[in-house]
Amino acid sequence: MENWRKHPLVFWAFSLPPSFWLVFFFLVPLTLVWGYSFSEKRGIIGTELTFTLDNYLRALEPIYLEILWKSLGMAAAATAICLVVGYPVAFAIAFASERLKPWLLLLVILPFWINILIRTYALIAVFRTRGYANFAYEDLWNAANWVLNTVGLGQLQLIGERFEPMALLYNNAAVVAGIVYAFFPFMVLPLYANIEKLDRSFMEASLDLGAGHWRTFFSVVFPLTWHGALSGIVIVFIPALGAFFIPELLGGTDSQMIGNVIERQFKSANDWPFGAALSFLLMYATFFALALRALVAGRKGGGALDA
Amino acid sequence: MAGRLTSLLGFGRDEPIGPLDYGRRWWMRLIVGLTFVFLYAPIVVLIAYSFNDSRRNIVWVRFTTDWYVKAIHDQSLLVAFGNSLTIAIINTLLSTVLGTLTALLLWRFRFPLRPVYEGAIALPIVIPEICMGVAMMAFFAWIGWPNDLPWPISLSNIVIAHVAFSFPFVAVIIRARLAGFNRELEDAAKDLGATEWRTLLDIIVPYLKPALVAGALISFTLSLDDFVITFFTAGPDTITLPVKIFSMVRFSVTPEVNAASTVLVVITVVTTVLALRLQNAGQKAGSSG
Amino acid sequence: MRRHHPGRLLMEALSRRRFMTGAAAVGVSFAALPKGVLAAEEPKLNFYNWDTYIGETTLADFKEATGIEVSMSLFADNAELFARFKEGNPGFDVIVPTNDYAERMIKAGILEELDHSKIPNMKNLAPAFQDAAFDPGRKHTMPYMWGTMGLGYRKSKVDGVPGSWKAVLESDKYKGRIALLSEGRTMLGMAAKYLGYSLNTGKAEEIKAAEELLIKQKPNIKVFAQDNGQDLLLSGEVDITVEWNGDILQVMAEDDDLSYVVPQEGSLLWQDTLCIPKGAPHPDNAHKFINYILDAKAGAAIADFIQYATPNAAARKLLGPDYNNNPAIFPTDETIARCEPQTYQGEAVQRLYEEAWTRVQAA
Repeated sequence: MENWRKHPLVFWAFSLPPSFWLVFFFLVPLTLVWGYSFSEKRGIIGTELTFTLDNYLRALEPIYLEILWKSLGMAAAATAICLVVGYPVAFAIAFASERLKPWLLLLVILPFWINILIRTYALIAVFRTRGYANFAYEDLWNAANWVLNTVGLGQLQLIGERFEPMALLYNNAAVVAGIVYAFFPFMVLPLYANIEKLDRSFMEASLDLGAGHWRTFFSVVFPLTWHGALSGIVIVFIPALGAFFIPELLGGTDSQMIGNVIERQFKSANDWPFGAALSFLLMYATFFALALRALVAGRKGGGALDA
Repeated sequence: MAGRLTSLLGFGRDEPIGPLDYGRRWWMRLIVGLTFVFLYAPIVVLIAYSFNDSRRNIVWVRFTTDWYVKAIHDQSLLVAFGNSLTIAIINTLLSTVLGTLTALLLWRFRFPLRPVYEGAIALPIVIPEICMGVAMMAFFAWIGWPNDLPWPISLSNIVIAHVAFSFPFVAVIIRARLAGFNRELEDAAKDLGATEWRTLLDIIVPYLKPALVAGALISFTLSLDDFVITFFTAGPDTITLPVKIFSMVRFSVTPEVNAASTVLVVITVVTTVLALRLQNAGQKAGSSG
Repeated sequence: MRRHHPGRLLMEALSRRRFMTGAAAVGVSFAALPKGVLAAEEPKLNFYNWDTYIGETTLADFKEATGIEVSMSLFADNAELFARFKEGNPGFDVIVPTNDYAERMIKAGILEELDHSKIPNMKNLAPAFQDAAFDPGRKHTMPYMWGTMGLGYRKSKVDGVPGSWKAVLESDKYKGRIALLSEGRTMLGMAAKYLGYSLNTGKAEEIKAAEELLIKQKPNIKVFAQDNGQDLLLSGEVDITVEWNGDILQVMAEDDDLSYVVPQEGSLLWQDTLCIPKGAPHPDNAHKFINYILDAKAGAAIADFIQYATPNAAARKLLGPDYNNNPAIFPTDETIARCEPQTYQGEAVQRLYEEAWTRVQAA
């Protein structure tokens, strides 16, 4: 990293356009909502900036912390699945021939150009009690049952007396699956962008020296592509925390996430100050985590994301 | 497509599997295959129901193409589709440029308040969508943004909001790729007399290509799929596809929406096929010439 | 469909136009309107409606009759509509909020006062709809459609007619086959109603009792449905669901095994209203449009197509017994007597409901 004074022109050329956009079209609007978080409601649509901390105190009540905790768990589970599944898929793309590569990229991203809501409804059609996943399972069951009966093990009822469809929807697992389905390319694409640059001779060397595939992955591949994984985690985990219609459509009676609570404050509850306070708690946490990391890393000469 | 897939998965080749030939190992194929089944099974169902003669995507009744006729004649659906595509394309261009600049800035320079900048640039990723939507609505109401501008300028407030939340995503992706960049290459180029501009264009951008593609794809997807923020910034004449779709599902998704989505998929695939053909042809012409 | 009409409507429109110019000349309270609106309001109208909630050709017929081009946008729920108008009108002329939200919007000062002299078709409304408790004198709203909330169920899977809220609120008979609505205020109101309170109760302890009832019932409930209970019912995912009558009616048309009932404890009466939000760019056209919808034939065509109960008595006369005698569209007077409209109880009570609902979902 170099001091900005060494190339001030380049520095300004790089920094002005994004900073302008960030300040005027994001931070200024954000400040308006930030003001709400210190305001009190007046009447139906009015608010008054009283610099109260009540909204934050209310946001820290145990019930909201519990919901937040649960949301963190679900977002983390979804992110972990994306990571574990995303690596092989990103590998497959990065190691494919130049001709195939664009096709595979397209194949990964294509489903995500269909509206998320339509996709979620399609997911429901596949996984509901009388959906295609259960139909396939029923066929399998019937086949297994036939085989068991034919070989004379029918009496033992090894696979149950009657076919029971799986309850694949309306629970927390369905919400996690829905989040994976919504954010998967956000993990695969940054991973791909980093695996692609991987120097294969390192891997060959590792394998030649007798390390297995797993060992090679953990001691060579992962450390070299860790930045891609980290950026994938950031852009999957953080937005997943705020998911709201996925838990609404796929969740059961206790799948409410913090995104749902925030959404209700801005809509039916008509309590913008509280909704703003809840949103800003999430933002403070991330802001300070990243700024602190950058500060620490800055002393060592790196940035927050190049740990 | 199917042929390509099977050759990708390694069927029909008898050479021994090389140590790095991960695409041909059975466990790799299994994971990738299952992933694509998970990704595409709902899409297949969705396309199938677009040919179903029932108002709901629930029970198969009989084959029909009526929904396509209806979708193609639904003026407001086409307008919304056009708006969405226009916004997504402009958004992709702007946020890829801005995101790349941000990544280069944070990668290359040490400057005062850098940690603050790092934190601030992550906020658009963290902010709950509805909070951002309300912020944008309050902002445009506050500055008195007119809502009766002629098309396509009328879309500009939506584009502004979309770029604001999508360029940090691009920045994060590009940043990760830059992290492993060998700066000696850049220094060497400069030692040989290349200007900053030429170094950027000839050394850095080619190196970033996969990340640029990934970032552009993600910002395009974010924009094309965004409902909440668009809802709060759109006016009566600037409806986008997600806004239209979200408001239609009170009475569940109709096959008409499925039909429109299928058309979108087909258009995308055809466009990409043509683009890749052209690119391949260009490369062949280039290499033979 | 309405080819025989335009002549009369055009005349009406013309005579109103003349009245308007006259009114402007003497300067009757139009000072707040944007300049030039009265002289030449462009022939356009921005209509913000629910999906599938207008006649098949209504907008085209209206254009034929008046030359005004209606551009219809859709919204999915009242809360969303309300939030969208909090920072000012984004450019709509006519909106369709449900009564409790209309009341909220009136109290928030978001709605324009209607000029009844420009809505002569108000005379077509049944007497019960000439006035409204939530909008005394109908100063801001005209009724569009009305209905009830109740239970949609699958006849072959449910024991007889589930005539009581008990079936879904305090019983494990249909364990895992029940869907409730994911609207806190409404669902807690229903629970209160079942407990014998008003569904508009503002008393903390009654809301608490409703909350506890729902929490106790949670293990038996499959899902809090996002207003898609009818889909869950049709696909066999659940066998009994709390829903709006119109939604169930639509799936009843596809599956004979489905039915709808308003439980004996009573339920909620709703009314969607036509309103003009403040800052509407085309208020004159908006009045014309509202008047057009209240017209007998136009109203009949809409009601016939969307199969909701119309408050328009003149329109009902034009429709047959299939519509007028359908108990799922028009509940009996006795049923109506047991129902009450949901009213807006102020922000403090709203907050009690919201917090109770958050706890129900978190429990």
